Amino acid sequence: MVVNAVLLAVGLLMVAPLVWLVVQSVTPEKSAFSIPPEWVPVPFTFDHFGSIPDLVPFGRMALNSLQVAVISTAGSLLVSVLAAYAFSRLSFRGRDALFLVMLSALMVPVQMTVIPVFVLMRNLGLVDTLAALWLPALINVFSVFFLRQYFNTIPRELDEAARIDGAGHLWILFRMIVPLSGPALAAMTILTFELSWNNYFGPLIFLSTPEHMTLPIGLVALQNGQGGSSVVVFAAITAVVLPVLAVFLAFQRSFVASIASAGLRG
Amino acid sequence: MTDTAVRAVRRRASVRPGGDRVRPAGPRRDRVGYAFVSPAVLLFLVFVLGPFVAAIGLSFFAWDMLTPARFTGVDNFTRMFADPLLYKALANTFVFALASVVTHLVGGLLLALAVNRAMSRALSYFVRTALFFPFVISWAAVALLWKYVLDPTFGIVTHYAGELGISTPDWFTDPAWALPAIIGIDFWHTIGFTFVIMLAGLQTVPKELVEAARCDGANGRQILWHVTIPLMSPTIFFAAVITFIGAFQIFDPVQIITPQGGPDDSTLTVVMYLYQKGFESFQVGYASAVSLLVFVVMMAVTLLQFRGSRKWVHHQ
Repeated sequence: MVVNAVLLAVGLLMVAPLVWLVVQSVTPEKSAFSIPPEWVPVPFTFDHFGSIPDLVPFGRMALNSLQVAVISTAGSLLVSVLAAYAFSRLSFRGRDALFLVMLSALMVPVQMTVIPVFVLMRNLGLVDTLAALWLPALINVFSVFFLRQYFNTIPRELDEAARIDGAGHLWILFRMIVPLSGPALAAMTILTFELSWNNYFGPLIFLSTPEHMTLPIGLVALQNGQGGSSVVVFAAITAVVLPVLAVFLAFQRSFVASIASAGLRG
Repeated sequence: MTDTAVRAVRRRASVRPGGDRVRPAGPRRDRVGYAFVSPAVLLFLVFVLGPFVAAIGLSFFAWDMLTPARFTGVDNFTRMFADPLLYKALANTFVFALASVVTHLVGGLLLALAVNRAMSRALSYFVRTALFFPFVISWAAVALLWKYVLDPTFGIVTHYAGELGISTPDWFTDPAWALPAIIGIDFWHTIGFTFVIMLAGLQTVPKELVEAARCDGANGRQILWHVTIPLMSPTIFFAAVITFIGAFQIFDPVQIITPQGGPDDSTLTVVMYLYQKGFESFQVGYASAVSLLVFVVMMAVTLLQFRGSRKWVHHQ
C-alpha cells in the first residue's frame, strides 16, 4: 500500500509540469504565473493561441514538420524494405560484406557526418530547404537492420511456394512479406516519424528563415525573439505538445512496444 | 530446393583450381539483388559513408568553408590535446553520462519492480503513462517548459521547495547547479524509456525461480539480489550501454537552455562544443577532429558492449 502511494505521488509529480503548462496557456496574462501556482484555469481564455501567428508562422511550421516527417518516414520505409528483402532473401556477391559495412555505420554519430553533409547541401543549394532534412533521412541503417531481422523470421517455404506459382520478387515482397510484417513496420513508422517530428539538431543546422522552419526550432526561435509574453510561449508549447500526446494516448500500446522492441533512445 | 542445389553445384564447379573465381552462375541473380539494395546503398554512400570518410579527411585540414582548405597534418589533433575547453566539455559530458546511467538504472529498476506487482489497473495505467509520456515530447518543448518550471521567481519547483523550507539555487546561473539541473530534466524526459526496458526485462524472469527461492525461505531482499537482478543482468547491461550512448551525445537541452555553455562553461558538452566550432566559428577541420573523438568513444562503448555481453552478463 505504501508502495502504491509512492507510485501515485511519482506519477503526479511527472504530470505536474505538463498540467501547469496547459493551465498557464489558457489563463489570462494578468493572473498567469501567479505565486502560489494556479492549477485550475478560472478565468479562462484562448487568446494566447491567437497571438502565436503574430510572432512566428506557426501553421506554416506545422506543415513543414509534417511534410518532413511524412516524406522521411514513407521514403525511408520504402528504401529499407527493399534493402531488407535483398539482405534477407536474395543472394548476390558481396552481400554479407555490404551488410556488415552498413551495420558498423550504426556506431557513427550523426554529429560526425553532419559537417560534410552540410557542405554537400550547400553545394547543391539545398541549405534552408526542407529537402536538406528529409534527403539524408531516407537512409536509415537501423531500419534496414531491424526489418531484415524481422523478415528472417518469416518462413522461407512461403517464398518458395509463391515462386513455384510464378510470383516475382516484387510480388513476394509487397504482397506477402510486407503484409506479414505489420508489427515491425508499425514500430519503424512510429520511431522514424517521432524522430523526425522531434528533431532539433538537423533544423538548427540547416534552416534559418522562419517560413522554412519546423516546429521544434520554431518554438525556440519564438522564445528567443520573445516579442510576445511568456503566456504566448506557453500556448505555443501547448499547441506543439497536445497533438503529440493525443496520438500517444490513442496508440500507447504500439508506441511503447515499438520503442521497447527497437531499444532506441532519443 | 533443387534449383538452389543445382546453383550451388554450378558455383562450386566454377571455382577454378588456380583459385581465381569466376562465377557465371548468378549474374542475373546478382543483378536482382543489386537492384533491390541500390537505393539504400546509393543513399548510404552519399549521406553516411562518404561524409564519414570526408569528416576523417577534413580533420587534417584547416577550413572555414569560405577560403580554400589548407592541409595542416595532425595540427587539429595536437591542438585538441592542449585545449582546456575541450577537456572541460569532456569532463562535463562524462559526468552527465555517468549520472544519467546511475539515475536511470536505479530509478528505472525500482519503478519497474514497483509497477510489476499486483495493483489496480487504473493505477498501473496511470503510472505507466505518466512515466512514459515525456519521452514522446520533443526536447525543444521539454527544455523550454523546464526553463520556466525551474525559474527562480515564478517556477513551481522554486515555490513548492520553498514551502518545504528548501531554498533552491538560481539553477542556470549557478555553475554548481546548472549541470545537475540538466541531469534532472533529462531524467524526467527519458526515465520512461529505461522503465519500459526494465519492465520488459523483469517480465522475462521465470516466476518458478522466484517461487522456488521463496519456498527455500529466501526473503524479498534476498530474492531481489540473488534471483531477480542476476537474471535481469542482460537487460540492465543493455540499458546501461544505451543510456550512456544517448547521454554522451546530449545536445538539445543544453543548447536550448544554456546556449553559450552555461555559467563557467559548466554545461558545455562535447557535441555542443563541436557545434560551436563547426557552425558558429566555422573551424570545420577542428570540429571534424572533435567529431572523430566522439566516434571513437561511441565505438569503444559499442565494442565494450559486445565483449561485456559475452563475459559479464549472466545468460540462461
